Amino acid sequence: MLKAKNSLGVIFFPAFDWSISPTHPEREERLLYTQDQLKEEGLFDIEGVHEYKPGVASIEDVERAHFCFPDVDAVATRSHLIAAGGAITAARLVLDKVQDRAFALVRPPGHHAMKVVHGARGFCNINTEAVMIEWLREHYGIKRIAVVDTDCHHGDGTQDIYWHDPDVLFLSMHQDGRTLYPGSGFPKECGGPTALGRTINIPLPPGTSDEGFLMALDQVVLPILADFQPELIINSAGQDNHFTDPITNMNVSAQGYAELNRRLAPHIAVLEGGYAIQGALPYVNLGICLAMAGLDFGGVREPNYDAERLRQPKKVTDYVKEVCDMVPKLYFDPPKEPKDGVFADNWFVRRKNIYYDTDEITEAQTEMLHLCGQCRGLLKIESRSTNNPLCLGLEIPRGACDSCRNMGYKILEESQLKGEFRYIQFVNRRDKEYVRYGF
Amino acid sequence: MLLGIDVGGTHTDAVAVDRNGVAAACKVRTDHRDLLASVRGALENILGSVDRSKIRRLNLSTTLSTNAIVEGRTEEVGVLVSAGPGIDPYNSMLCRHFHALSGSIDHRGTEAKRLDQAEINAAVDGCLNAGIRVFAVVGKFSTRNPRHENAIRLAICRGEAQCAGADFVTMGHELGGRLNFPRRTATAFFNGAVWRLYNRFADAVEKTLADLQLGHVKVNVLKADGGTFPLALSRKLPVQSIFSGPAASVMGIIALCDITHDSVILDIGGTTTDIAIFAAGAPLVEQDGIHIGSHPTLVRALKVRSIGIGGDSALSVFQGAVRVGPNRLGPAVAEGGVTPTLVDALNAAGLCSQGDAEASRSAVADLARAHGLEPGDLAQRAVQAAAESIHEAVRELVAEINDRPVYTIHELLEGRRIVPKKVYVMGGPAQVMKMPIFRCFQLSTEVPADFAVANAIGAALTRSTWDLELFADTEKNMLFIPSLSHRQNIPRTYSLEEAKKDAVNHLLAHLGGLGVVLDNSEAQITQAVSFNMVDGQSTMGRNIRVKCQIKPGVAFRLTGRG
Repeated sequence: MLKAKNSLGVIFFPAFDWSISPTHPEREERLLYTQDQLKEEGLFDIEGVHEYKPGVASIEDVERAHFCFPDVDAVATRSHLIAAGGAITAARLVLDKVQDRAFALVRPPGHHAMKVVHGARGFCNINTEAVMIEWLREHYGIKRIAVVDTDCHHGDGTQDIYWHDPDVLFLSMHQDGRTLYPGSGFPKECGGPTALGRTINIPLPPGTSDEGFLMALDQVVLPILADFQPELIINSAGQDNHFTDPITNMNVSAQGYAELNRRLAPHIAVLEGGYAIQGALPYVNLGICLAMAGLDFGGVREPNYDAERLRQPKKVTDYVKEVCDMVPKLYFDPPKEPKDGVFADNWFVRRKNIYYDTDEITEAQTEMLHLCGQCRGLLKIESRSTNNPLCLGLEIPRGACDSCRNMGYKILEESQLKGEFRYIQFVNRRDKEYVRYGF
Repeated sequence: MLLGIDVGGTHTDAVAVDRNGVAAACKVRTDHRDLLASVRGALENILGSVDRSKIRRLNLSTTLSTNAIVEGRTEEVGVLVSAGPGIDPYNSMLCRHFHALSGSIDHRGTEAKRLDQAEINAAVDGCLNAGIRVFAVVGKFSTRNPRHENAIRLAICRGEAQCAGADFVTMGHELGGRLNFPRRTATAFFNGAVWRLYNRFADAVEKTLADLQLGHVKVNVLKADGGTFPLALSRKLPVQSIFSGPAASVMGIIALCDITHDSVILDIGGTTTDIAIFAAGAPLVEQDGIHIGSHPTLVRALKVRSIGIGGDSALSVFQGAVRVGPNRLGPAVAEGGVTPTLVDALNAAGLCSQGDAEASRSAVADLARAHGLEPGDLAQRAVQAAAESIHEAVRELVAEINDRPVYTIHELLEGRRIVPKKVYVMGGPAQVMKMPIFRCFQLSTEVPADFAVANAIGAALTRSTWDLELFADTEKNMLFIPSLSHRQNIPRTYSLEEAKKDAVNHLLAHLGGLGVVLDNSEAQITQAVSFNMVDGQSTMGRNIRVKCQIKPGVAFRLTGRG
């Protein structure tokens, strides 16, 4: 009988009654064949592998990670709250030492959801991992966390949320933004003024196969993780680098994904994208589960796998090598100045225009971080979109100094008096206060 | 008149019942070397007071297959599997003659790799040369497409309809439509392993009935899921007759009590207490299937949890805390044993006087003295501890049932939770444990009359159950009902509603063919889902899955009589 080396909790929630639209890639059918494969393999009968039911994230859980306008209920459906709740369930299993590892096999995905949410971008409404991470920090006092995003699309949402956070190391390996949505994720994007080098992007060229994928892991991700020494490693386990994926151009196989998870050994994995629902997901998910549990995954092969066809061209290998040579410097010797934004009176200001492709919303945003030198700094975001008039998000960070805290309340008061904002979301992480105005 | 015989580990219980109640009952010792003698003995005893011409049906619950497996008296089986990619099939290797063949079928039932005929022939020859006469043939995803299983069977039978090559071949898809390749393999293996032994027994039972002029009696065999199946069918699926004992008791409670709420059923025996849970008056069935040895199988069973607390469970004191069980060091001192048990505690607490109550009191007093406790206090605390352990186990079981995974938002947020409203207690110490249990649960607690032969009554009154899964893929124009090996072409317009109707019709027709006549309303759809299969922007078809069952029930209840 099989016995897992690492006990593994799998939170399997396929949301068989939810879709973005009937023929959208993010539809009811997405995890059907994965379920078939996992059940047919008898995965949950293996000693040390257990299946769990997800919890449901609360409004406050979401507000710890996001400013939602007009409010959480308007931008997140029940399925989003369950996906985030499933990730929280996964994290609890690991931190309560019920299981060594956990995999939240939930949908819909979340890694394109940024700090401010007006609607859905890249099939994502709320950032599943960020909601989980903030929940963990609130309840378990975990400090240093690494997120390794292996989805084929750049995890621009997670990057945005942790842009100013030196304690969350965000590493994303993805298909080069010049060739794929969302068009970002270049090495020069490496964090805000207080967290330079804590955002690391590894763009890979189209046609990268297992070889290049694992090379990026070995030469960039693992050495940086060894130095950063996170308390927790999270894998944003998108599966669209697969050679059969309909909307990307990579050549990674189930073996590649499984091997990556064996070497990376994440404590928690959370499903992100991946839309080759018949040809890839059943095998990739099985491979990841087996790898996380420390079981042999040598027999996991796609029926149409053809090693010869997927061999990585030398040109691609050479390019990946170049990227791998260049990127680690950004962590070990980060630039002194952030690539965009301006400094003004102890504030760091970034202006962003964000397009929500799924909901066809355009947002214009001014993000301001107070560089106080004592704490993480008060965060203030003014945002307007085609969905909402001018809104304000104000966040007093965890462990805020008195001055930032007082300034937060002062700005809140002034903003209400002036009445220029339609909605205000005020989050005081220090005293756990979550308030919405404008209703 | 309906007969029920439950061949248990210690006793064989038999009853004859009709709507007026129990007409005759008897209890004889089970002879493990000759189960048939036990059955015959019980039958003759009952026939002493019942008119044999009025007997219509005999339901039989037997430990034959279970014992054969536990004692290793099974036949060698040649297991041939086609597994394809995934977990190494040799992890589910159960026996010596196990052959993993190349060839694979994917989750949609599409052949991904062909079988290698030469490889199959070599494996089959290897088995036949080793004297193997019984085979199990299992393919991964054979419940989507049985093609490989059929091809391997054909190779074993050398293409002959009568199958000269083997005496019996179990094919995985015939065991039902549920997905789980290792369980399907184990189930097929055990089915083959007990097949010959079981069929000899079935022959002998039929001969005995003929000898006793009971040839007109229809014989059914109990399954672990709280239902019966006809003897003829059980000959092909003997594995389904395993572990039917606890189900007989649970069905007995249904016949004896009018259960309508979410309830807890406790059967307190000598060694263990069996806990079953009812949802709105119906017993819960285990989601997956029972374990045989350490092997999980697809054999469905009522959800019954056994904990190590019974009348013969030893008392112990550890750091001032009084505990009962889980060790059984019985019998009780009152019955001539040496270690004080729960029965002795009940005697010493003055709650009952079973056997030599004086001996109980002095044994409990000795134990109390050794730990500096008052004897009366120790006895009370032991009874309390037993009730609390049972309560705790029930709480855990209910939480586990309420926490089982679900796959839709609707079920997750609005799914029904089980909240027990009533407790039913049976078994030897039922009457005396009633109040301690009531104090823990704070729920209405009832001990049914006739609980001593509830198992045999349950056996007698249990109705036939069966279940099937229908799988339809309109892109492939294919419908498949694995357990019936039924494949049929369907149009692209085939809908979920048609699938539900077809599932019910096939289920009833199948049982009808075996002489079990049921009405449409007794078939219950337990799952009906239809997924649009999309490729790019266009819908290619629908993937339809329907599960249908005849739910466990009794022919009639014995409540409200007298």
